[in-house]
Amino acid sequence: MNRTTHTEGAELRPFAERVTERRVGPCRLLALPTPAQSVVTWRGSFMSFPEFDSDEDLLQHMVVSLLDKGTRRLDRFAVAELLENRGAQVDFSSDGLYVDLSGRALKEDVPDVLGLVAEQLRDPLFDEEEFEKARARIAASIQRSMENTGSQASGSLTRHLYTRTHPNYTPEPAERLERLESIELPDVRAYHERHFGSNAFTLAVVGDIDEDEIVEAVASHFAGWSEHEAPAHYTSKADRSRAGRSVVPIPDRQNVDVRMGHPVAFRRTDPDYIPAYLATYVLGGNFSARLMQTIRDEMGLTYGIGAGLYGVSAEYSGHWQVAVTLSGENVDRGIEETMRQVRLFVDEGVTNEELSDKKTTVVGSFQVGLATTSGLASSLLKNAERGFDVGYLDRFPDEVEAVTREFANAVIARHLEPDDLHIAMAGTVEAPMDAAASP
Amino acid sequence: MEVPSGFTFQEESGGIASYRLDANDMDVLLLQEAAAPVVTFMVTYRVGSRNESLGLTGATHFLEHLMFKGTERFNKRTGTSVFNVLQRVGAQVNATTWLDRTNYFELLPKEHLPLAIEVEADRMRGALIEERDVESERTVILNELDRGENDATRNLYHALWSAAFVAHPYHHPTIGWRSDVEHVTPEGLRHFYDTYYWPDNATLSIIGDVDGAEALGLVREHFSGIRRPAGSVPVVHTREPIQRGERRVTVRQSGQLGAVMIGFKSPPGLSPDTDALDVLSVILSAGKSSRLFRSLTDRGLTTNLFGGASRFRDPGLVYVFAMLAPNRQHEEVEEAIYAVLEDVRRDGISHEELQRAKNQRKAQEAFGRDGPFAVASQLNEAIAAGDWRLYTTIRDRIERVTREDVRRVARTYLIEDARTVGFYIPVQETVE
Repeated sequence: MNRTTHTEGAELRPFAERVTERRVGPCRLLALPTPAQSVVTWRGSFMSFPEFDSDEDLLQHMVVSLLDKGTRRLDRFAVAELLENRGAQVDFSSDGLYVDLSGRALKEDVPDVLGLVAEQLRDPLFDEEEFEKARARIAASIQRSMENTGSQASGSLTRHLYTRTHPNYTPEPAERLERLESIELPDVRAYHERHFGSNAFTLAVVGDIDEDEIVEAVASHFAGWSEHEAPAHYTSKADRSRAGRSVVPIPDRQNVDVRMGHPVAFRRTDPDYIPAYLATYVLGGNFSARLMQTIRDEMGLTYGIGAGLYGVSAEYSGHWQVAVTLSGENVDRGIEETMRQVRLFVDEGVTNEELSDKKTTVVGSFQVGLATTSGLASSLLKNAERGFDVGYLDRFPDEVEAVTREFANAVIARHLEPDDLHIAMAGTVEAPMDAAASP
Repeated sequence: MEVPSGFTFQEESGGIASYRLDANDMDVLLLQEAAAPVVTFMVTYRVGSRNESLGLTGATHFLEHLMFKGTERFNKRTGTSVFNVLQRVGAQVNATTWLDRTNYFELLPKEHLPLAIEVEADRMRGALIEERDVESERTVILNELDRGENDATRNLYHALWSAAFVAHPYHHPTIGWRSDVEHVTPEGLRHFYDTYYWPDNATLSIIGDVDGAEALGLVREHFSGIRRPAGSVPVVHTREPIQRGERRVTVRQSGQLGAVMIGFKSPPGLSPDTDALDVLSVILSAGKSSRLFRSLTDRGLTTNLFGGASRFRDPGLVYVFAMLAPNRQHEEVEEAIYAVLEDVRRDGISHEELQRAKNQRKAQEAFGRDGPFAVASQLNEAIAAGDWRLYTTIRDRIERVTREDVRRVARTYLIEDARTVGFYIPVQETVE
């Protein structure tokens, strides 16, 4: 067709051929040109290794929230104007063992914006007044999370499954607020000094890119950014299963969020991961999965229910979880029917047809997820963080296809145990007799 | 390309071609974009909660749920429910409803486009809407309502719209009033379906790595057998009366930190004044250079705030939503917002602010083309506002806005008599 936006057939060459991977100074740079006109997106990360039992993840959160509040060269308004005058966006976030960075800009602005990102990471201002404002904002966000049934149920579950030294442990909000009050600006500066550096620094840049320009920008702005020496200090196993029920009471919330979970022993890089992921998808991966089909579609008990693997990374294991939302009058029956489906799933496993269907779903969704520059950049980064080569993105569909029913069911039998599930609830719900106070 | 038989070419704008299916006057928008081997197929029906009457509020949304319950061709009994057949091939499939429109969409590997077209054509007139499905879905929606009502800021948002609109159906939330959801009948929903789900009340969008002629051929194959409706879609005559004084609304709910929302009546989405209000909203609340961020969040009055100018089919609201910082009062935040608005009314905006806002919108527009789903979603809202070309011309429309336009719309619309103010006041409660 005669359309100006039409390009000839989508690029189907393997990622291994399309992605350029090179070391540029301290950075592992992955570059993928796509036909997205004038748009460039990036995702990056480095390992910071906060000590979780010393609440350093909170310190890290504070540092990250101050990165857009000025550098020693530019005040906070100059930073904002540099970005907003170009319609560009830059974000930093704290993610377990990592600090993540993401951004987008029009093609011509990428070198300038990457320069700013380097300056923000390496030379932040850490102004006293901004520190106090950041403290108030973080306090407010913790307070607001206390109204949220979903985040309170999820947080409560992690406190039953992990020790404080595990990256997936979520401290109690009240405890978090107390700790926040005790943080001083020198603590923040010291954390940045000790934990910000180019350890495993990776940047994935996707879109309408000029590779030479990006290499030059990364080389000049990140040159000399050295690694920090903070040691890895965390528990990698989630092994604190405590079956039972807990309730986080929140008044005036008729919808109750329920999280049922127990730890799993594998990591993202283990051979059991993909079979476990596929099998869990059969149970609760999407609308046509068993839980939505029974608990929502047939019984009308919930708006949303799903199952998944959570907090499983290349560095540590996580947990297996079923999440469901239930109106107050349906809580007991909803949990009972959900448990019935979970037991059926573990006892009988998945069928060939179900497994085959979900393989196509997972591979198709993977393909669909790679339709935007942000989806591509995220996948490239995650893949690199897991220690996989770029070619893994090409091999992933084959790995999914190779899972047999026998192997999937053996993995279910090996890792899943309904009696070990801890059931955490948040909302206006009468506490069951065996409810423990949420730790 | 040659226009395929059975279609009339309408026009092209911004790389998107518009066709009309001769058999039943259904519109089709086509954008071929081969960045990835996927395609988005979307059906937008021009029906939303704007078309609902009292007693049937929430019908748009309830019906959208039922559209997944089956037809004779695709149903759960035979293992061919819409979700089953589409998710099996890796499609992201869902639907949404809002004030002016309902949309059903599939984002899927390009080779499966024929299946998506077949499913949507089949359920345009083939939905079963059975009593047992209505009953099981009713409790699902009641749980969805409960989930929504857990969120106090959402309750404030709806309370403010309800206070601002007393006659026009933007008064009620799209999910409907709880009592209507509890009592709506299969017959009522069937009537609603038979009134609005027709090809001449729908627009198809096909965006992605497709062969245009082939895609249109599939549309013709599956949709041309659907006849035109016997009657026409009822016109919504209700106009909101002129607001002649400030209105105030309070939401008290258990919680931690309060919020303030202020809305002013604004023109329809296609009005050029909405372009100027759009620019004004960017200057007021988009990013850390914005006036409200500098005057409120940067000074510790709020933890975050956002704003916007609605682009609906009928007059809507230009609004600011501010989340209070700890130990701050609603009244001081309200006054601080007014002070910022008064500055714009009195002195207008600077050249730099206007240019920055235009650059932000220009970049937003470029990123809005990143992937077929983003394009289809924005087309969907433009169709809802009354003209799909709003999407392709927005950059030019924004570019035409002048400093004088911004000051004029600030003086015209940001006035006390057209203002509705809402407070979310958290109440400290404990559960026994």
